[in-house]
Amino acid sequence: MITPAKVEAVEYRRISDVVWELAPFGAMTVPGLIFASQTLMDLVLLEHATTQVANVAQLPGIRRASFAMPDIHWGYGFPIGGVAATDVDADGVVSPGGVGFDICCGVRLLASNFTEADFNSHRERVMRNLDQSIPRGLGKGAIAPGDLVPGVLARGAAAALEAGYGWEEDLERCEEHGTSAGADPKTISDHAIARGRGQLGSLGSGNHFLEVQVVDEVHDSNVAQAFGLAEGMLVVMLHCGSRGLGHQTCTDQLRAMGPAMSSYGITVPDRQLACVPVRSPEGDEYLRAMAASANFAWANRHVLAHAARQAFAESFGMSPEKTGMRLVYDVAHNLAKIETHDVDGRATELCVHRKGATRAFGPGHLDLPEDLRATGQPVLVPGSMGTSSWVLRGVVDNPAFFSAAHGAGRVMSRKQAKRRQPGSQVRDQLEAEGISVRPGSIRLLSEEAPYAYKDVDEVVDVCARGHLAAKVARLRPVGVVKG
Amino acid sequence: MSYRVLSHTADTGIEATGDSLPSLVAELATGMFSLVATIEPSAAVRWTKVRVESATPEDLVVDTLSELVYLSEIEDLVFCAFRVDSSPGGLAITVEAGGVPVAAVEPSGPPIKAVTYHRLVVEEREDGWYGRVYFDV
Repeated sequence: MITPAKVEAVEYRRISDVVWELAPFGAMTVPGLIFASQTLMDLVLLEHATTQVANVAQLPGIRRASFAMPDIHWGYGFPIGGVAATDVDADGVVSPGGVGFDICCGVRLLASNFTEADFNSHRERVMRNLDQSIPRGLGKGAIAPGDLVPGVLARGAAAALEAGYGWEEDLERCEEHGTSAGADPKTISDHAIARGRGQLGSLGSGNHFLEVQVVDEVHDSNVAQAFGLAEGMLVVMLHCGSRGLGHQTCTDQLRAMGPAMSSYGITVPDRQLACVPVRSPEGDEYLRAMAASANFAWANRHVLAHAARQAFAESFGMSPEKTGMRLVYDVAHNLAKIETHDVDGRATELCVHRKGATRAFGPGHLDLPEDLRATGQPVLVPGSMGTSSWVLRGVVDNPAFFSAAHGAGRVMSRKQAKRRQPGSQVRDQLEAEGISVRPGSIRLLSEEAPYAYKDVDEVVDVCARGHLAAKVARLRPVGVVKG
Repeated sequence: MSYRVLSHTADTGIEATGDSLPSLVAELATGMFSLVATIEPSAAVRWTKVRVESATPEDLVVDTLSELVYLSEIEDLVFCAFRVDSSPGGLAITVEAGGVPVAAVEPSGPPIKAVTYHRLVVEEREDGWYGRVYFDV
């Protein structure tokens, strides 16, 4: 029987410029490896997120290390920014907590034929049209009809495309082509479907957003060009996931997994880490349900991108095709995927959990579209509201199972953030900086204020120095539609 | 009011006490929806009823709160009033939840995505029941 002990105090040491090691002790079977500068590590230690990294290092079958990306912060069970890969053929486990409630939450980036000057001359119209066409915040509201949900669960963005949303070429630039393999709609409960019916094509709340941004600084012009980006280009970034359908699916699966876990002789230090072997009926069911929920998320971002194109087209009095709003890439940061990686010189089938971490395949990876195979995968790292976001690319020597950061990472609780400034003040400051803001709720704006997050530029620097991903371009926000 | 909001970097928790397990559930539910909006119980205009049965007190708390999150989303209500009673059977309760339509609410926090098992505590103490629950928001 595996009986991990809860780790209360963790010893750590710096082993390179931006890597910190938590040596295995207690029931940890691998070390914890945290990618952080001194400043970022101080923040990690302040909130004891190391304990969660150590807890994950106890999962059965975990290989190499329990990794933490530079935007790591305290989560529930897994830290946010955690990466854990388990050996499928050695009773390695799958844990819904290693994916999170917002299954397949991710980021989508659209290019355009517009410049910042174009945006400025149509700013009010664009922001008004986006404000009116992007459902978000508390309550129901969706772009696509509920009867599309069953097809979407089975076939993801492809089903939304068939229903008239988006462009065919979008699928090529979406992780998994917008359709997760192995999805089984029968594993999705009536509760989950009922929640999803009113939410296909909606942002949600919290840190979800649609931003209008400008390519502000290009660090690798060849790769930027291959991605379809150029300095001065106006782009649109979307951040959202599988909405209530995914939240309910995770709830359902966690409920079932708790009792099942004991039949495999597994105990965990935090019940949110509940897990079962990947090769078990329960593990198989979870992965099929997760894939169906992921399909909802791919389709959700696909439909929202369609609405964004329509809003720009209407604002500029042209067809959506003329806007040039091509999909640069869509990538998830909350998924568990079966991937083959080298472990101690042996090609090993792993279940790679990325909980608030972005897949970052390097050049040559066969899962990348042909036109991106030479550059590596686009890695999209959104900043906090009002700060830069980044486009990175995967590199061949990534040590963390080809994973990188997924954002800036919170540093302040919502309560603290709200206490510091009212939402109206946050909006006024952003507007004064030239960033138009259309919040779902003005009172909630301060919860997502820039000061509530780490410095995204530092997070990205650590990604580059730690060989997680390489810089391609920095994006500066000029308009925010907030969930 | 016998609940307290617990701060957490990404998410939020509630701890509460109650004379009985049903009253603890009512306090935790009140605390959970207070994260979304501040509404007086007397403002409730629509009521819904649900029975929940679980294997352990911990499961009963998580299952009930999860069901309320689901009902809130489906019925487009923010709940603000709760009547919770023991229900015949094993470990079971019946919850009547009263709420206000979302359209009439000025939110004070983001909606609750889900109820987690993270650092979950539900226990009977000498002076009554104590519970601590964290939410994904």
